[in-house]
Amino acid sequence: MENILEVKNLNKHYDKFALKNINFTLPKGAIMGFIGENGAGKTTTIKAILDIIKSDSGDIKIFGLDNQQYAKQIKEDIGVILDDMFFPEILTPNDINNTMKNIYHNWDSQMFNNYLTEFSLSPNKQIKTFSKGMRKKLEIATALSHHPKLLILDEPTSGLDPIARAEVIELFQNFITNPDCSILLSTHITTDLEHIADYITFINDGEIILNKTTDEIINNFGIVKCNEEEFKTIAKKDYLKYQKSKYQYSVLIENKQAFKNKYNITTIDKVTLDDLMVLMIKGVK
Amino acid sequence: MLGFIKKDIAMIKSNKITLLILIFIYVLMGLSNQIDMSFILPFTSVVVMLSTFSYDTYNKWDAYSITLPDGRKNNIKGKYLATLLILFIISVIILILSFIISYVNAKTMNYEQNFITMLGTIFGTLLVLDVMYPIIYKFGIEKARILIFAIVIVLVMGISIIANYLDFSNILNKITFIFNYWYISIPLLSIIPLYLSYKISLHIYRHKEF
Repeated sequence: MENILEVKNLNKHYDKFALKNINFTLPKGAIMGFIGENGAGKTTTIKAILDIIKSDSGDIKIFGLDNQQYAKQIKEDIGVILDDMFFPEILTPNDINNTMKNIYHNWDSQMFNNYLTEFSLSPNKQIKTFSKGMRKKLEIATALSHHPKLLILDEPTSGLDPIARAEVIELFQNFITNPDCSILLSTHITTDLEHIADYITFINDGEIILNKTTDEIINNFGIVKCNEEEFKTIAKKDYLKYQKSKYQYSVLIENKQAFKNKYNITTIDKVTLDDLMVLMIKGVK
Repeated sequence: MLGFIKKDIAMIKSNKITLLILIFIYVLMGLSNQIDMSFILPFTSVVVMLSTFSYDTYNKWDAYSITLPDGRKNNIKGKYLATLLILFIISVIILILSFIISYVNAKTMNYEQNFITMLGTIFGTLLVLDVMYPIIYKFGIEKARILIFAIVIVLVMGISIIANYLDFSNILNKITFIFNYWYISIPLLSIIPLYLSYKISLHIYRHKEF
């Protein structure tokens, strides 16, 4: 399968934080959920991919091209949403349209205006009069209106109500119907990812600690609920992390079927991405 | 790059009411002979252009602009060209206002003298902006405000100290050709520092992280 994005041995050091040997690939036609707690390194990784920060070492290839050497060419085909609002708030959506049509070769004003109508955004109102959710919708409209092949989205659904979130998720699903397009989606709202992401990449403290398909996680991973006695029978190599609460142990396992075959513990819950994050970060080995 | 210029112009246009009030005050002051219109250009253009930097910083535009095609280069190029355009527009407005005020005040206007003064003012304003922009790109608009203030004080003090030891009339006599050929020398003297300033800003911005 051809990759649209390849990150190899990416390193970036700050005084109190570092990205350490980040490796992952995003195939064409796929959505990758990029998850991790606040400060784990999601935004730093995205900024390195987009050349907003300079990496200390490592290779980043987008569409098979070096992200710095072919920056101009690559960026024509990328749609971006950053975690912070980035349009000067005294501008109007019409100003954004006039700006972007002179920046992107493929800018589609008709498409942009259609999104404005769909999202009920007034083209002549200053952005500062928009709610947080409306601003996010404007960013989404802008990211999609030059027919990009890759969307790099940092918290694209934050600030949106559940209905707007569902609309936006549907837009992303429609976008991905083109087999040449992909999405790298960083978010805290992991329930969105369970429905649309093909891959999950989990970053913690600047390191990738999990990189698997969503199906693999949902179908194979599980949380064993057991008491102390039962927990003591489980070999360390058979679980990833555990958390002890007042009455029971929650034990994260990687292979439900193998576990069932080996142990006589029947209470194995399905794992959600939220559970996975909490257990991987807060759990102990 | 045109998109970046349009963005800056759109931001300036958003403040059109403030600008119109400023122009109205200038006209009133001009009519009552309280102000020489040529001094309006540096003040207005610096205020207008600094406001675009402030909006960019406040709204974190710089990080996003880098994700756009050739964003690092076009952001800088756009800012410098928008500056030239704004200088031109404000100069034209001031010239028109000067003519109107002269007419209303029933004064005879020396057109050539007015034009030379305006060119000189553009040259001076550009020099100020040439120094300011690399400082803004290096340190950010907030720190740059203080630094620029400090640099202006140091420059004024430095020039006044040097002036005590030099015979300026002698120097001016030696460079009279600059004044004789003002129509070539002033634009040329403006372009060289502007180009250097652009190159320095671009160098800073190419390596800057957001």
